Amino acid sequence: MPEIRKYSEDELITGLKARDQQAFSYLYDNYAAALNGVIYRMVDNRELAEDILQDAFIKIWNNFSTYDNVKGRLFTWMLNITRNLTIDMLRSKGYKKQAKISGDENSVSNFSDDIKISERFDAMGLRRHLVNLKPAQRNIIDLAYFSGFTQEEISKELDIPLGTVKTRMRGAILELRNILQ
Amino acid sequence: MEPKEIILSGNLELYCLGLTSKTETSEIEAWAKEYNEVAMEIESIKAGLEDYAKLHGADPRSEIKEKLFTRIKFPVVQDKKNAVVSNIGALARSKYSLVSPVWKWSAAAAVVLLITSSVFNLVYFNKYQSASNELSSSRELLTQEKAQHTEMKHDMDIVHNRYSVPVSLKGMEQMPDATAKIFWIQNTGEVMVDASNLPDAPDGKQYQFWAIIDGIPVDGGMIITNDKGIKLRMQKMKAFGKVQAFAISLEKTGGNPKPTEVVSMGKI
Repeated sequence: MPEIRKYSEDELITGLKARDQQAFSYLYDNYAAALNGVIYRMVDNRELAEDILQDAFIKIWNNFSTYDNVKGRLFTWMLNITRNLTIDMLRSKGYKKQAKISGDENSVSNFSDDIKISERFDAMGLRRHLVNLKPAQRNIIDLAYFSGFTQEEISKELDIPLGTVKTRMRGAILELRNILQ
Repeated sequence: MEPKEIILSGNLELYCLGLTSKTETSEIEAWAKEYNEVAMEIESIKAGLEDYAKLHGADPRSEIKEKLFTRIKFPVVQDKKNAVVSNIGALARSKYSLVSPVWKWSAAAAVVLLITSSVFNLVYFNKYQSASNELSSSRELLTQEKAQHTEMKHDMDIVHNRYSVPVSLKGMEQMPDATAKIFWIQNTGEVMVDASNLPDAPDGKQYQFWAIIDGIPVDGGMIITNDKGIKLRMQKMKAFGKVQAFAISLEKTGGNPKPTEVVSMGKI
């Protein structure tokens, strides 16, 4: 009888370490949308994003033995692999980094105009709460998170001193945590 | 640095976003090991960022997963230990938790049906046995009746035969109730004796049948009047072509060449 297995994060990690295909399938089903969203925000090209997504998952599968759950969250580890891969791709393909900076509060809905936003995690309500995040706070997170900007690049982009990036970032993430809690 | 200071610095956020240098990164990881509060703060920042990323999730097209899976070589045989464990798990599940109520009720119904069926079997077996007994005794009776009927029919055939000539034999003086009926079939010469009215022969004696041809008695065979308590009716005697009269005598068992004591006689 085929049944949809639910994994706890520990079970999932154990399964992946044991090279279990079902566990990998579950991993994909639960994280592909989030990772794809990140890649898409970075490359702004649907097909390219999906290609990078595949490469990212292959890298996740092949390198899973190096993942150490004591060091950090599974998603963060995967996100780092994905972001690094995307940044490499952008550089090698000569893509110009395009900061999708928008002061518009509806940037999330703009984003969904041409691509279906995953409903897996949402909570449309939660997404609406993001409106409470000040555009400047959102921008600074997005620049680092989705655009892969360095501290210096963010400082330049936002025209703020390097030291301020740190404090602004902390304020923005604190606000984000408050909203999402 | 004090944990509080570290948390307030904003370095942890940069670390979680991968924006710290190598030296800063190892420094922060060392703090995380040293101070639980720092480690917890890092977890919270990462969780927040994770949720943020999920909120921006975009489903890849469904065929992407298939494409990806054809690109990965999955091990065909999994870790034996795991496989065994999961098999046992599956077995245990199927043994205990997967027994659906439908099956439970079906099993209960089956048991009830079995018991009911057994009771009916017993009842019907008994009925069958008595019916079978009745049937066999009926059959036996029928066979008897049939045999009797055949006998009667045979007797009647003789009576009804158009060539049959009935002759009544009347008892002589010393034995007046020794009466019998003879049916002589003229065309074949067959002689039948209805001895049902003859008294039982005394012990050691038998009735002997005679045909009187031209004044001389000719032996026609012995008449059985008592065969284990059953009176025989029509008995076939020797055949005669030309007869004037018939007689019955009482002789010693086995008969005599000539009649010694004639008890019944009748002319044609």
